[in-house]
Amino acid sequence: MAESFGAGVRDDETLEVADKVGRFSSWGLFNSGSDTRLTVAFGDSSAVRSLPLYSLLSLVAMIVFWFIATYAWGLPDEFKEPGLSDKLRIAACNSNDACEGSFSQFLGPLTFPSIRDTWNTFFLLIDEGFQNITLWAHTKASLWRVIRGMFFGTLFGVPIGFAMGLSSRARGFFDTIVESFRPVPPLALLPLFILIFGIGDTTAVRLLIFASIWIMIIAARSGVQEANLSKIRAAYSLGASKPQVLFRVLLPNALPQLFTGFRVALGVSWGTLVAAELVGTQDGLGSMIFAARPFFRLDVVVVGIIVIAVLGVFMDIVLRFLESKLIPWRGKG
Amino acid sequence: MGERVKDLSVKNVEMVYQVPKGDPVHALHDVSFDLASGRLLTLLGPSGCGKTTLLNILAGFLAPTGGEVTLGGDMITGPGQERGMVFQQGALFEWLSVEKNIAFGPKMNRADKKQTKDKVEELLEIVGLAGFGDKQVYELSGGMQQRVALARCLANDPDVILMDEPLGALDALTREKMQGLILKLWKETGKTIILVTHSVEEALYLGDRLFVMAPRPGRIERDYELPFAEQGLDVEPRELKAAPEFGEKREEILSIIWEMEEEIMGRTEPV
Repeated sequence: MAESFGAGVRDDETLEVADKVGRFSSWGLFNSGSDTRLTVAFGDSSAVRSLPLYSLLSLVAMIVFWFIATYAWGLPDEFKEPGLSDKLRIAACNSNDACEGSFSQFLGPLTFPSIRDTWNTFFLLIDEGFQNITLWAHTKASLWRVIRGMFFGTLFGVPIGFAMGLSSRARGFFDTIVESFRPVPPLALLPLFILIFGIGDTTAVRLLIFASIWIMIIAARSGVQEANLSKIRAAYSLGASKPQVLFRVLLPNALPQLFTGFRVALGVSWGTLVAAELVGTQDGLGSMIFAARPFFRLDVVVVGIIVIAVLGVFMDIVLRFLESKLIPWRGKG
Repeated sequence: MGERVKDLSVKNVEMVYQVPKGDPVHALHDVSFDLASGRLLTLLGPSGCGKTTLLNILAGFLAPTGGEVTLGGDMITGPGQERGMVFQQGALFEWLSVEKNIAFGPKMNRADKKQTKDKVEELLEIVGLAGFGDKQVYELSGGMQQRVALARCLANDPDVILMDEPLGALDALTREKMQGLILKLWKETGKTIILVTHSVEEALYLGDRLFVMAPRPGRIERDYELPFAEQGLDVEPRELKAAPEFGEKREEILSIIWEMEEEIMGRTEPV
């Protein structure tokens, strides 16, 4: 009769998959659900997990789609017409000598770059680089900017957030500032930043600080606000002073929220990076993409996009791993 | 420890909460009592009778709007480590191990590390958690967590231990075990304990003195002297709770509380 329940039937294969998920979940990669034999699983979100097999499948699907789109069909014929693409290429390269030598060797037809083109460009960018700056140098410049932006965003944001959670005056004062700047996209402030700070590396970092600070303020504030009153009172009853309550109770207690805020802010910063690097920086993945654009070097653009995506995923995995090590009590309190 | 006599004295305590819209709430009205050192007082009453408010005033978290509270002659003006507090739940520090939770008080007072370590070991033994010192608190069951809370409170060697429904979130079996532990601690340490509870049986079993409180305004309705806590360690708890005297008291108190509840319902319903 058990078969008639449908959802309750689990063959050995699915159980094995669940085992594998369990191993992955210790990395914080996938949510692990319970392994009980549920008779009705539909609608029970605790029974839903991200099966790694299917994640792999969607990755393969993306690559296959890319392959088909660039090889089998390509773009509509008018884009492939040699006359037009030649003209465009010549027009593009007349304005700059940089692409003169190498581009004809690896620049395919003026379509979305194929997997092979992108692959070749990737290694060319690693070895020779684009406009004499290697891919690694671009990546390092971008990462360093994000790190600085996040560092200062956290350094200034967390104390302000804590002040807003602890003092009515600070809450009143900063509320107006935070609430009016938070909804403004960093990109919208780019012209102002250029006018005020000029162009260059520090301006890009300042834009990234702007992107992360509001998120860190709000995370820190909610971390303080959501502290269980019993914990604070217990600490005072045990003889803790105000600084001790702050550093030994409120701060560790807010760590889960701070970590969530940090993850969100890092995602936003990484996303703002391309815009930040518009501000006259010579290196960085964003400036590489923008430098490649006028020359129709879509292969370089695509490599830039993929590197940004892969690094974004990688950073989130590292953060989730750190979270499971640093805040093991999360969700268990 | 016996030399330290710190009697608790509560004189004409008033507590009025100002509500932004509507009438002020009279949470406590003219509450006065003296409690000799080393007694175990239980507070019982329907919700809204001010028993938790009274406990918070004794702990020093709230300042009464009238009257005064003294412990051993000293005015209570804020929280202090001579008055330890055990909460219902959620007051342990999840980021610290069991050991470090218990050592929190001595550490805040910059006590000697070696002494603290010995004390923590001793307390773990007393509350029945020997060998659990390096566990994380979220790995423990609810009952074990409350054992940690008790040990943490005892680590500062307070004169008075205030308990706000410490067993309220536990299942019935664990609750009975913990009642035994509280009685044992009380007998062995000779500390003054004030315990708020919702359970008539618990209040009767643990209290060597019992206040039944009434709401609107919150006040002490009855003041009982009880023999059961004294007998508690010699007689089986089940036997004690089944005794006719225990049953009589339970019925008496239940009927008082029922009357109050009906009075409240009668006031709110426009008959």
